[in-house]
Amino acid sequence: MLERVADGGGELAAPEPGSTADDLLARVGGGDREAFGALYDATSARIFGLVRRLLVDPAQAEEVTQDVYLEIWQTAPRFDPARGNALAWMFTLAHRRAVDRIRSVQAARDRDLRIGARDLEVPVDLVAEAAETRIEHERVKGALGDLSELQRECVVLAYYGGMSQSEIAARLGVPLGTVKTRLRDGMIRLRTALGVTT
Amino acid sequence: MTGPNDDGERERHDAAFDASDELAAYALDAVDPAERDAVERALAESARLRDETDAYAVTAAQLAELTPPVAPPADLRARLMASIDTTPQVTPDAATSSAATSTSDVPEARETPEAARGAATSDARDGAAPPDAPGERGPAHAQARRRWFQRPGALVAVAAAAVILLVGAVVGIGWPGPNGWGAQLQMTAIAEAPDAQTTTHEAEGGGEVTLVSSASKGQSVVVAEGLPDLGDDQTYELWYIDDAGAESAGTFNASGGETWRILDGSFTPGVAVGVTVEPAGGSPQPTTEPIVVIAT
Repeated sequence: MLERVADGGGELAAPEPGSTADDLLARVGGGDREAFGALYDATSARIFGLVRRLLVDPAQAEEVTQDVYLEIWQTAPRFDPARGNALAWMFTLAHRRAVDRIRSVQAARDRDLRIGARDLEVPVDLVAEAAETRIEHERVKGALGDLSELQRECVVLAYYGGMSQSEIAARLGVPLGTVKTRLRDGMIRLRTALGVTT
Repeated sequence: MTGPNDDGERERHDAAFDASDELAAYALDAVDPAERDAVERALAESARLRDETDAYAVTAAQLAELTPPVAPPADLRARLMASIDTTPQVTPDAATSSAATSTSDVPEARETPEAARGAATSDARDGAAPPDAPGERGPAHAQARRRWFQRPGALVAVAAAAVILLVGAVVGIGWPGPNGWGAQLQMTAIAEAPDAQTTTHEAEGGGEVTLVSSASKGQSVVVAEGLPDLGDDQTYELWYIDDAGAESAGTFNASGGETWRILDGSFTPGVAVGVTVEPAGGSPQPTTEPIVVIAT
């Protein structure tokens, strides 16, 4: 086994000291409270922003965000960085929890009103962003731009609107099978544009 | 690892139930509960469908990049920090992250090395049940877990084997150090880079040395297998070698088994990586002929 551990220097750990979400999540997995705090500081506006987008109601968004971070704390020991990045995993948890909350709490009628009152534009981030975030932003925006208008509409309603495919079909007045096809074709195209490999 | 029946199961499944038509909607959380159950039953039986769903899930997560960040209420942080003190963590899957918990002060999250070794060789999907799961986690956890906790494969094989072997076998390894968790993260990042290159050469005197390098990451890692133990007086030293000469990239010891380390310094394509035997502590310049040189 390799031996050069005893000097205990953090400088051996990584050229970029543990500041990225991936590094922090790995430390959270080891029970590191301080890393959890730092991970929260680094990501909470992103997570809360996504949850807010889906839930609108700030109090519910806050509750769901709290649940998301507790789940992150609990399950971080099982996170495997080889299988994807930390932020994507956190977004996946947050989206699913927010959508579950929508479905369990809000009546369908309220939801339709809520979504109807909102435009279908791809959300545009108006706040100042770090350059890295901005590049990522442009990349995803460009990828969404590759979809047909019908595909994009369905994907946007599902992801940003939190609507189920049946709800989307009802809203657009098209058969469920059509929505499924658009979602699938749209996601395939998006996957390709974003370079996600299987 | 996937079961031997996957192919047969998959074919039958596709014929009976068009789960593949639902996967995109599933990854977008756009399925209703009945559809979700049906998809998850299908996923449990088909590695191919799981892989496809994983890709959709990662794709969907990137859509979150477009939502504007919003600072949560200031008191949420304090409440969370207080909550985690009374919230136990799940035990890690031995095959992926037992090393991370060895520095943990959370006793629940610790595993015996025997357990880690045993589980490392078993199907990673089996170890997923969290014994102390809180009330509300369920579907979200299940979905995220599919890619991040359960998925076998997807790594460059040699690198994955090295990590799993080490994680399974080494106890007491922490965040820092050449084989620490931080280094493991870096290693998987190198191995997963789209431009990762893997080259294996036999070493003089026995054993094999594999170089995994990524130009985009600017890093490389060596995986050494079966190199003789040099004892306390000598060490293996790594070198980046180019026209300007050899530059030390760190030292390592071996004891006949498998070991690895990320090279110090930055990797650029075209550089050669060499390994020499040096006096303990290493040398500023090579003092012996390399036992292996790998060109890139």
